[in-house]
Amino acid sequence: MAVAEVDAQTRQNPVGTTSATRRRVPGWTIVGVVVAAVVAGPLLALPLSFVGGDSFFEPLARTVLPVGLRTSVLLGVGVGLCTFVVGTSLAILVSFYDFPGRKTLDWALVLPLAMPAYVLVFVVLAQYGISTPLQSNLFGAGLQIPGVRTPLGAVVILSMVLYPYVYILGRSAFMGQSRQSIEAARSLGCSYGRAVWRVAVPLARPSLAAGVVLAVMEALADFGAVNLLGVQAMTAEIYRLWFGAFNEAAALQLATVLIGLALVLVAIERLLRGRARYHQQLGRGDAIEPRRLHGWRAFGAAVPGVALLLVVFALPAVQLVAWSIESIVDGGVASGLASQARNSLLLAVSAAALTVLTATIVVYGQRTRPSRLGSGAARIATMGYAVPGTVVAVAVFAPLIWIDRRLIDVANGLFGTSIGLVFTGSMLGLVIAYVIRFHTLAYFSVESRMGRIEPNLDDAAQSLGADRSRVLAEVHLPLLWPGILTGALLVLVDVMKELPATALLRPLGGDTLAIGVWEATKDSRYDAAALPALLIVTVGLVPVILLVRLLRGEGWTSAGERI
Amino acid sequence: MPSKTLGFFARRPWVTILILVVPIAIVVVLAVTRDDSEALVIYNGRSHYGDEQIFLDFEEATGIEVEIRGGTSPELFERLRREGDDTSADVFVTTDLPSLWRAQDAGLLQEVSTPALVDNVSPELADEAGTWWPLSTRLRVPVISTERVDAGSITSYEDLGDPDFAGRTCLRTSNNEYNQSLVADMIAKRGYEETETLLRSWMANDPEILNSDGELLAVMAGGECDVGLTNHYYLGRALDENADFPVAPAWPDQDGAGAHANISGIAVINGTSKQDDAIALIEFLTSADAQSVIVDQNSEFAANPEVPPAAHISEWADVVIDPASNQAGTLFEEAIALMAEVGWR
Repeated sequence: MAVAEVDAQTRQNPVGTTSATRRRVPGWTIVGVVVAAVVAGPLLALPLSFVGGDSFFEPLARTVLPVGLRTSVLLGVGVGLCTFVVGTSLAILVSFYDFPGRKTLDWALVLPLAMPAYVLVFVVLAQYGISTPLQSNLFGAGLQIPGVRTPLGAVVILSMVLYPYVYILGRSAFMGQSRQSIEAARSLGCSYGRAVWRVAVPLARPSLAAGVVLAVMEALADFGAVNLLGVQAMTAEIYRLWFGAFNEAAALQLATVLIGLALVLVAIERLLRGRARYHQQLGRGDAIEPRRLHGWRAFGAAVPGVALLLVVFALPAVQLVAWSIESIVDGGVASGLASQARNSLLLAVSAAALTVLTATIVVYGQRTRPSRLGSGAARIATMGYAVPGTVVAVAVFAPLIWIDRRLIDVANGLFGTSIGLVFTGSMLGLVIAYVIRFHTLAYFSVESRMGRIEPNLDDAAQSLGADRSRVLAEVHLPLLWPGILTGALLVLVDVMKELPATALLRPLGGDTLAIGVWEATKDSRYDAAALPALLIVTVGLVPVILLVRLLRGEGWTSAGERI
Repeated sequence: MPSKTLGFFARRPWVTILILVVPIAIVVVLAVTRDDSEALVIYNGRSHYGDEQIFLDFEEATGIEVEIRGGTSPELFERLRREGDDTSADVFVTTDLPSLWRAQDAGLLQEVSTPALVDNVSPELADEAGTWWPLSTRLRVPVISTERVDAGSITSYEDLGDPDFAGRTCLRTSNNEYNQSLVADMIAKRGYEETETLLRSWMANDPEILNSDGELLAVMAGGECDVGLTNHYYLGRALDENADFPVAPAWPDQDGAGAHANISGIAVINGTSKQDDAIALIEFLTSADAQSVIVDQNSEFAANPEVPPAAHISEWADVVIDPASNQAGTLFEEAIALMAEVGWR
């Protein structure tokens, strides 16, 4: 047992800085790097698509690249700006002002996170229900929003469901600020509003930027919404090259470009943030007291949040309920709904459990011995979040089917039995894709929690004779669990909503709710799509509400840092 | 030192559960979610909606259980190709000919033929060797608003590029395999340059791009577009629901080549152990009874010559059709590049 031996070794040098331990890397670090490598591995192979062709870019890739890249950049910039404005303004309103309904809005503004963009799109498109058999449209047969099928329309719809990332992080940053900075600004002659704008917002910059980056990454990786809107983003182009032209190399090249785009984004965020850290020690009674608004101002402050929730969440939810009832009454419920729901839950829970495990291992590996290799590997493993599900699916499928074939050979040779495709023929392959795609969410949740555990604790525990594993088990895990839970919940919601990887990797009999919605919407059978969509939103609400409770119980400050 | 490690885990049951038991349990549970029932496995590119009935009828008629995996025909072909000999699929059902040709070229299909099958389908639709069998034909044709466009103002695919219709056309996205099929077939029959000229004239009308044929028809009925391009059965279904649906087909090239026709077909996967069941399925699906269901529910044209079009589209029976050329199968890459070049979103 290599781990145990290394543990024995490190125990002799508890603090871990002497030359003796430097010669031997702790087992946990190795395990952490290995896990990170496994998570990132399939993605690292993507740039290989540029090797070996006649020209650097496949001609076909060059043909479709300009439009795709332009659209995706537009989506990214647009969603970035929109979510920044919407998320930040709402966070400011709720954090610095008190008005009727504020307490409810505080948590309700997170709810759109449970609404997949493609569901919102189909609810909007189906309002124009002349040829659909749906009777209970809220807007009769007439709501046709001009320009909804353009990149701009996609920006608006995506921003409406992605702003909560900015809101949550902004809200937690504002909660962590102390009253004194605002008061200092006011004593220098700023009005309250101006003080908020000049002092509080700049101080929250890193959190807001992180929220925007998450939202933009989601937007770049979106497949369902852009597809339904007929917007030619990179994800749609990749799919077209793969499953239309069957030009795998060209598809992978575009995928590499898209990941490059996401990495540029992360780099810009880091550059903007620089080395700045904006932590303020928050003592008791220092927290910002929202200023009470009166009269029309109070009313005016409540309007934007309420209106947004009405349009983005309440009305679509009511519409889905109405259609679901209609489809149940008409007997239009697709068969297999129960097994779809079961599969969705099974996949979401499994993926959440496994991502939390990989995240904890990678984080702990880094902690036991911070090293360039370790943090580099951990950083690369977080790349998966920027990678569209379509790409993850194709990147994962090739190695898995190779392993499956070897397993079949081995089983045949040893036992003479046929075991079939173990990974790609079961849900295991799909869960591996989810782990690669969503490891990041769990990683950030666990990492920031781990960052708040004093390293002295590790040293103290080790000086009392505990080995690395025991420190993790008895010191860290009990303190980490809120971070682990947050990570698991975030992954759970995202897996429920995930579409392209699920559609491509689903095994036989492995249809999920998301696929139920997709199969129906791409045929414009909105009646059949309503009930599974409603179930996705409902099930997605449970983790979101848990998350909100967790945020409230813990205070937004600490919880926000974990996201 | 294994005993020490064991001791460590034994003393901390919940760590053991978290780190070892949970992942292993998950992996095992997921690995056994594999469907290894004895059912006949169908990779079905056709829509879930409306087709379930014929498969249920088959189960009832024969007692053979079926298991269906969905997806688009190209997705399913790609999956089949990658799974190779180890696939669990026994039968491949597509919405188009190119997917069948691709599978044939990749050596994934096996030839089957029985007297009943030969009896069931029109000889001009069938593959002589029996590598695949047709289920239905579907025409991709221009359609016009009956309220705002005179009947007879569109008589060819070229007419969709008539400047009269500038700002009045709707097309489905070029991501769609039916459009890709149509353009690949045009390249095969008209040549690249003529096809490019044709598509550029379509694009010059600045068409609105929609995601599905059903949506296209809804938008046309709503008055946003006056002319469009759709598979005929989508219009058939709309007319079935509402006989006054304000859109009509404009059959193209009736004095010439005819309307572009694609075939939805079915084939047996090479190496299946359930060849007899698969053949039973194909015989059943091409029989007059099942074909009537396809025709009545989906408004497609039957592959079985005994089955006439559904009553609500009975006057469409005499349309001159132009079946897709088998050279179109290799021209998809060109078709996609061309569509991107002319700016078809």
